[in-house]
Amino acid sequence: MSASTHQSGGAKAVFRSHEFILFVVLVAEWIFFYFAGTSKNYSGATVGFGTLDAQFDIMRHSCEIGLLALVMTPVILTGGIDLSVGSVLGFSAIVFGKLWRDGHLPIDIAMLGALATGALAGGLNASLITWLRLPPLIVTLGTYSLFRGLAEAVAHDGDTFTNFPASFINLGNERWLGVPEQLPILAVVAIAVWLLVHRTTFGRSFRAIGFAPEGARYAGLPVERRLALAYVLAGTVAALAGIIYTARLGQAKADDGTGYELFAITAVVLGGTSIFGGTGSVHGTLLGVAAVAVLTDGLSLAHWPREAGGVLTGLLLILTLTASVLPKMLSNRRSHRQTGPSTPQPSPPSP
Amino acid sequence: MKRHFREWSVAGALGVMLIALAIFAPRFYEGQPMLSRLTDTAPTLVIACGMALVIISRQIDISVGSQFAICGACGGMLLAHGWPAAAVIPVSIALGALFGAFNGALIAGLGLPSIVVTLATMVTWREALRWRTQGELINIGPAQWFGLSQKVGQWTIIGTALVILAAIAWAMKRLAAGRFVYAVGADAEAARLAGIRPRLVTFLTFVFLGALTGLAAMMFSVQSLQVDPNAGNGLELRVIAAVVVGGVSISGGRGNLWGVLAGLLLLACISPALTYLGVEAYWEKAIQGAIILLAVVADGLRNRKAQR
Amino acid sequence: MKRILALLLATGLVLSGCGKSDTSSTASTPAAAPTTAAPSAGARKLVIGLLPKAKGNGYFVSCAKGAQEAADALGDTLIFDGPTNDDAGKQNEIVDNWINSGVDVIAVSAENKDGLSTALRQAEAKGIKVISFDADVQPDARTFFVNQATPQGIGYKLMDEAARLCGNSGEFAIITATLTADNQNEWKKYIDEDLAKNYPNMKLVDFRPCDDDTAKAQAVATTLMSAHPDLKLIMAISSKAVPGAAEAVKQAGKIGQVHVIGLGLPSENKDYVHAGVTDSVILWKTEELGALTVQVADALAKGTLKPGDKSFTVGDKTYTIDGDNVLLGEPFVFNKDNIDQFNF
Repeated sequence: MSASTHQSGGAKAVFRSHEFILFVVLVAEWIFFYFAGTSKNYSGATVGFGTLDAQFDIMRHSCEIGLLALVMTPVILTGGIDLSVGSVLGFSAIVFGKLWRDGHLPIDIAMLGALATGALAGGLNASLITWLRLPPLIVTLGTYSLFRGLAEAVAHDGDTFTNFPASFINLGNERWLGVPEQLPILAVVAIAVWLLVHRTTFGRSFRAIGFAPEGARYAGLPVERRLALAYVLAGTVAALAGIIYTARLGQAKADDGTGYELFAITAVVLGGTSIFGGTGSVHGTLLGVAAVAVLTDGLSLAHWPREAGGVLTGLLLILTLTASVLPKMLSNRRSHRQTGPSTPQPSPPSP
Repeated sequence: MKRHFREWSVAGALGVMLIALAIFAPRFYEGQPMLSRLTDTAPTLVIACGMALVIISRQIDISVGSQFAICGACGGMLLAHGWPAAAVIPVSIALGALFGAFNGALIAGLGLPSIVVTLATMVTWREALRWRTQGELINIGPAQWFGLSQKVGQWTIIGTALVILAAIAWAMKRLAAGRFVYAVGADAEAARLAGIRPRLVTFLTFVFLGALTGLAAMMFSVQSLQVDPNAGNGLELRVIAAVVVGGVSISGGRGNLWGVLAGLLLLACISPALTYLGVEAYWEKAIQGAIILLAVVADGLRNRKAQR
Repeated sequence: MKRILALLLATGLVLSGCGKSDTSSTASTPAAAPTTAAPSAGARKLVIGLLPKAKGNGYFVSCAKGAQEAADALGDTLIFDGPTNDDAGKQNEIVDNWINSGVDVIAVSAENKDGLSTALRQAEAKGIKVISFDADVQPDARTFFVNQATPQGIGYKLMDEAARLCGNSGEFAIITATLTADNQNEWKKYIDEDLAKNYPNMKLVDFRPCDDDTAKAQAVATTLMSAHPDLKLIMAISSKAVPGAAEAVKQAGKIGQVHVIGLGLPSENKDYVHAGVTDSVILWKTEELGALTVQVADALAKGTLKPGDKSFTVGDKTYTIDGDNVLLGEPFVFNKDNIDQFNF
């Protein structure tokens, strides 16, 4: 994968970079759906993909996944993964609802409570991963079940929380200065995560840990603390996503966010971040989220069945992965003819 | 004993659970329901054997649920059209192997990360199947239990699963091919230098898992009068959980199938145990997650001790 | 380099904003004259969106079949789409997309009663007509609810049929879809009510979900029979659970000893009914439900059906309207005497 923000090449490197190709794909998708999904209704007004409302809704729909994908990026950069973010979303949403309805706390305090829950959940992941040096895949597989189960237990008997005040519901559905209210939040988180990953030493250390955890340790990096930061951040932002999701739907249920972790991983990988860690970018992730969101909603606006979105997203992922590897394979072939036995695939770290 | 500490501790936990049930809910051991329950679990065991190999070789496959659904649906349709079981089973196995080969080609051939490849294939295949079948149940009627009587059918399925388990367990210990899987999982580069071909081994583990999934799909489909194309939802996570709880390390290179059997049985007991003990249904997921975490923490503590 | 990318991205977003916008008014402006649904929509083809709880469910596929036939007869376009996985929040997103693509009427069966209402209110505010069928939403989020039977009717019918088979006494258990499904929970409420009022000698001993999975329903039923040896009947109130429960009874060899009833499609339960395992399956004519939904949608958009009407006539059928519920009729009991007459 040639995606890297430390390329020494110039413009040429940009155009070959994974993010740029993804950007082109995104633009192509957008143009396609503009023509396939826009039409005029009987009174001559434009409807469909080409309307501002539709574009805003695409952003509204992808806000929660976008938050999860953004915060999954540093985690994956460290060579880890967090399968529990969807469950943390649901669990925090339930805690939020419970604190507000049964705890009679004001909405703001309930939100803080939910964020704290997310942070604690992330902390549980972090402690198991750093203190016991357990593989993140398995730890978060366990917490994926655990948090979902806790959500169901707190909301036992299928309880759901609803009838939130209108001002809260607006967070998910209304406009502020012309744009959907959750967008500024997404933008702030996106900028913050981007800065964290690309402009701070924390970000550098994430990559270093992803490349070589032992090497990073020998180099004096506080590996455990950095990993903890990544996972606690993931949990907290997942809780934020849970709050926004609850506002958008106007209801908190125990099964909120089921399957979202996989969407988030898809977006991150599409965006060029290597699942093995070490390379990747936040803007790539944003492009990945946009690519999937435009695809899914574009098909829906063009009245294609929902299954088409799933199939095409899967195919897009396969094509992207294959395409990212081909240049290296081709150049390997070339050097193979010159030098001898092909270089073996490196032993991949734990998935 | 020390070498297989993990496997023994899972077996121990299973033993404790079984004893507790014997004391507090002896009806758990009633014959016919137990037989049905084991028959229900048998296909998952078969897939878990294949998944164990994949995980030992340091990969993962989260698309088995979708493979399972497609093989089951195709097999069901053939059975509904009157094809004999002897023809349908090989078709299902071959179809599963094909899916496995696709995964394997991308993972071993192109070096792509297995979790992402199988995530993509999982979504693609499942949605494609949904698109095609729209969830319509497939009636297989007389082909239930492959046309055998219920008791014979159930014992056949359980027996098949156990035979497969024993055969693979033996092969992993005694056959060179089995040892290769461990070697590749422990250190692929060292294995290559020793003359093993890691990419071929990896490819074949995926094909093997696919084939086993195809077989399991048929073992599952004949257990009722209809085949549900929505079957296999969440199957991959159940299988992986069983394998991991059973002591197979996600970092590759260690684990054996008897631990997997214990892990699978332990997790499979939770849901019925809750009913027999009169516990609310909504605790099920939390308890499952807790068990997985406990198993993993046990692994971690052992690692930490070893590092000292 | 990154800046170029960011600039391009921003340009793309701005350009998309410059695309012709239909209405950029927010829902906070009072419902101005609806721009997308003219009252006299008599001559043109209407676009009706039918949103089930989930696709891949035979019950909704059957409703859609009837809906499509009705739409064809009326000359309307029908869009049938729904979530394909466990994520019920996708219903909201589909509604949003339909609002933006200019449908005339939206007809939903809600998995999340309150959650979906949020999106539907937006639709109503934009002048799109909203009705519900099968599983209702909040009353202010839709104009009519095409009700196959009142939840009370369904709950009572199930309980009465169960009592009849058990001779008014004995233990029974319920298998539901998921613990969070709103309409199943509402039916259970009425089952409990009927039970408490009329059947003091019957006892509900357990209530378990099957997560919409037939195989899980089978396993749950097996365990229920074993854990409660005096169990006389299993009531499966999710269509996925009925064949599963029946298979469990069959495998346990308790045909005739443990009765199985439930809500389900005749086609999915025929085999078990004929085998004597499932005694009765209660449902309604799903195709007629789908057709009626489309007919109500069409009439509402064209103005021939208005809130406050007491009855709705289409063709040679007249349906009662109770408040804002258009009633399909009574739940129908399918058993071995009549199940072959139906092919849905």
